[in-house]
Amino acid sequence: MAELATTSIPTSVPARFNPWPITIFTILCILAVLFLAPTIGVLLSSIKTTRAIALGDLWSWPDTFYLGNYVEVLSNPSVHRYFLNTLLVTVPATIASTALGVLAGYTFAKLPFRGSNMLFLLIVAGMFFPPQVILVPLFRLFNSVGLIDTLWPIGLVHTALGIPICTLLMRNFFATIPNALREAAILEGANEWQVLTRVALPLSLPALAVLATLQFTWIWNDFLWPLIFTQSDDMRTIMVGIVNLRGQYTVAWGVQGALSLIASLPTLLIFLFFQRYFIKGMTMGAVKG
Amino acid sequence: MERENRLWRLILLALPLIVFSVLVIWPLLSSFYYSFTNWNGFSSDYDYVGFENFTRIWTDRLFFNATVNTAIWMIAAILLPTVLGLALALLLDSKVRGSKVFKTIFYLPICLSAIVVGQIWVWIYQPDWGLLNTAIEQITGERFNYAWLARPGSALYSVIVAWSWQQTGLSMVIYLAGLTAVPSDLLEVCEIEGASAWQRIRHVIIPLLTPSTVVVVALSVINSLKGFDILFIMTGGGPFNSSDTLAMHMYNESFRKYFMGYGSAISVVLFLVALTIIGLYFRQLKKVDEIYG
Amino acid sequence: MAEVTLKNIRKSFGAVEVIKGVDLEIERGEFVVFVGPSGCGKSTMLRMISGLESVTSGSIHIDGADVTHVAPSKRKLAMVFQSYALFPHLTVAENIGFGLMLNKVPKAEIDQRVRKVAQTLQLEALLDRTPRQLSGGQRQRVAIGRSIIRDPRVFLFDEPLSNLDAALRVQMRLEIARLHKELADVTMIYVTHDQVEAMTLADRIVVFNCGRIEQVGTPMELYHNPANTFVAGFIGAPAMNFIDGTVGDGGAIQVGDISLSPATPVIRRGPATVGIRPEHLSLVGSEEADFDARIELVEKLGAETLLYLNTPFSDKPLTARIDGSTAIGEGENVHLKVQPDSIHVFPV
Repeated sequence: MAELATTSIPTSVPARFNPWPITIFTILCILAVLFLAPTIGVLLSSIKTTRAIALGDLWSWPDTFYLGNYVEVLSNPSVHRYFLNTLLVTVPATIASTALGVLAGYTFAKLPFRGSNMLFLLIVAGMFFPPQVILVPLFRLFNSVGLIDTLWPIGLVHTALGIPICTLLMRNFFATIPNALREAAILEGANEWQVLTRVALPLSLPALAVLATLQFTWIWNDFLWPLIFTQSDDMRTIMVGIVNLRGQYTVAWGVQGALSLIASLPTLLIFLFFQRYFIKGMTMGAVKG
Repeated sequence: MERENRLWRLILLALPLIVFSVLVIWPLLSSFYYSFTNWNGFSSDYDYVGFENFTRIWTDRLFFNATVNTAIWMIAAILLPTVLGLALALLLDSKVRGSKVFKTIFYLPICLSAIVVGQIWVWIYQPDWGLLNTAIEQITGERFNYAWLARPGSALYSVIVAWSWQQTGLSMVIYLAGLTAVPSDLLEVCEIEGASAWQRIRHVIIPLLTPSTVVVVALSVINSLKGFDILFIMTGGGPFNSSDTLAMHMYNESFRKYFMGYGSAISVVLFLVALTIIGLYFRQLKKVDEIYG
Repeated sequence: MAEVTLKNIRKSFGAVEVIKGVDLEIERGEFVVFVGPSGCGKSTMLRMISGLESVTSGSIHIDGADVTHVAPSKRKLAMVFQSYALFPHLTVAENIGFGLMLNKVPKAEIDQRVRKVAQTLQLEALLDRTPRQLSGGQRQRVAIGRSIIRDPRVFLFDEPLSNLDAALRVQMRLEIARLHKELADVTMIYVTHDQVEAMTLADRIVVFNCGRIEQVGTPMELYHNPANTFVAGFIGAPAMNFIDGTVGDGGAIQVGDISLSPATPVIRRGPATVGIRPEHLSLVGSEEADFDARIELVEKLGAETLLYLNTPFSDKPLTARIDGSTAIGEGENVHLKVQPDSIHVFPV
């Protein structure tokens, strides 16, 4: 016989004090502090003089906000150049890779053919393999056409490497647009390009926002390709610049901190304002295509 | 209709496929080719050397060292960000106040570049005034200036911790998305059957999160294989190659020592490892999808 | 003593009150069906009885104990969900034995009890399968099995047949009726929007509307003596015809020019809504007729035929249900008689 039927039902008692929510909140607070500490620390050190940092006055709120580090960074012409170069690479590559992703994603979603699934998987798999495997051939390729030490290789490679994720996200998104919309438009006399540009694209602005956010962040933050493809200081992007300037500012920790934060400003701002696009992109891209 | 479709497929796919083939597929295949040569990156002539590069890999002590380190990183990738990300997601799922703020805090590092993350943690690991050592000093009351990144025993693990700090946010976000997919009536069954919170997590939530776990583990492992930037800025593979990974080793051989043929061979091995993982990932994903629909 | 007692239950979600004072007593072993249109609060009521939903005010008693604030697992009840809520990663056996596993019952005992339950529900061959390998009806039985094994005092069903196709629904209805006979001691509360399920399964039906109980009674009570037009229109298909009319001094009912004499005299006077079920109208010769009508539409269903009639005293067509073998066509003028003991009169 079940023990349920023989024991008596406990009489009602209004909910007692539940310790769990407070515990969870406390744990989360502690973890949040731990997670924030590195970033806050850099922020603090960026507004201190080098001497103050070396003296180990870590968590003390500085008496004065020393802005010298930021002045140093923002007035450094190399930094200007790095920023400009990064912008010149990131914006076009973001647009280009997104556009190519739209073209391919639309085709896979609305115009499938025999073997299209395999082709799609092949492209998507491109997201996953280590870029080291195409370093050498690409170096040779761009070297042979004399494009090493320009910004072209970086932009082109990022466009190409962005195709997998852009195709994945756009294909998934276009698949959610009912086929009936496309068929109705075709019956009205539209050709495929018009369906894409007048029907599908306007509906896909959220997905495009997601892609733009992801791609901009990814390309802006990249280090490997600028490292390989640029040699002279004129051509460096900001991330390579940070590594490079370590030599100049070896012990000037405050300056390095300020530089890191300034370099992260664009992506940080994009993240804070478009956070939900970010999250959407990461989760959508991660889940199976 | 079908003929027009064919035409459009061609037009629309042409540009993406061309760009992808020229800049990704073809170099990939070329890599295999170069791995059989002794090209040094400069001269226009080089020799075909057969499997010499691959046999060299076999006897290369540095390669073996890099493989071990890469394996350690992969294992840490499976454990650290996965478990921590899951824990965070579970904690945040409980409708606690301020969850949005917490989410932002944990997820913030993902928008920073690996270089910046590395830079931040170099600062934390600084022996004399870094955050970690000063914190330890305040707890123990004694002077402590262990050089985390300069000692062979701790360099690799220090970098892995820094990497996990960034990667955890990603795991958390994926798990949070997965949690929304857990059917609420299954959780209600748990209420009716009288499951404790831990039982509910262990017997229902974690199994139903399996699709997310597959994704998180695969992503972490793949990202650990790709880990290069953060290593470059924090240790450069040192000290004494103690934090050298396959990706770093390949770079050193190709662009520091100019053994580009040999470097290609290493990258081929790296690629095959990644391929195996990707294959397992897709297969596991399919299996899991059948069960959890 | 009643098994389940609800006293003045009220429930609000924020500012919106969805349950507006419900009182009900359910006897042990009764099969009670909560029925009503979507959004009427019947599911919310069930969930409050189960404990999954909190009560804003009022009290719930099960087996004499006040369970208003007691956790669901301690109320000695079991619940079958609309979606079955089976764990996809567990086998049928593991699904059924889930609660026992949680309570750390020894494995051998779990196996034995699961087997016994599986036998009752003819699930023995399926014990090692996973839910995705089962049909809808089989899944439903597993859900029932998981509930039975708890030996509950009260069995709750939340629209369990809504996800099944029509044929399967009839079959499962029989199984649930059989279950009720077998577990005669167990009180069953069943929620549905389908009045056929209510009529066939219930010992008593509780009709909900907008968070209130409209009427409680046996199926036949509700059919023959509906308390108001809502209940009258909800129970029975096709729905009852409603006609505007008046009750005269002598108790005669006047609809338009037609006069109807009910078998039992009507007490109230004045304007009223007259209700006549389609099955209580019959085709007769002109001498016995109460009124004439013109057939607008004929729907032949085989065993019966539905007629949609235009009458002078009603704007909407009246529905009449007659035997399927009668030859009749659209546009014909017919004579109809109302069964005198089945005329309902409702206040306006």
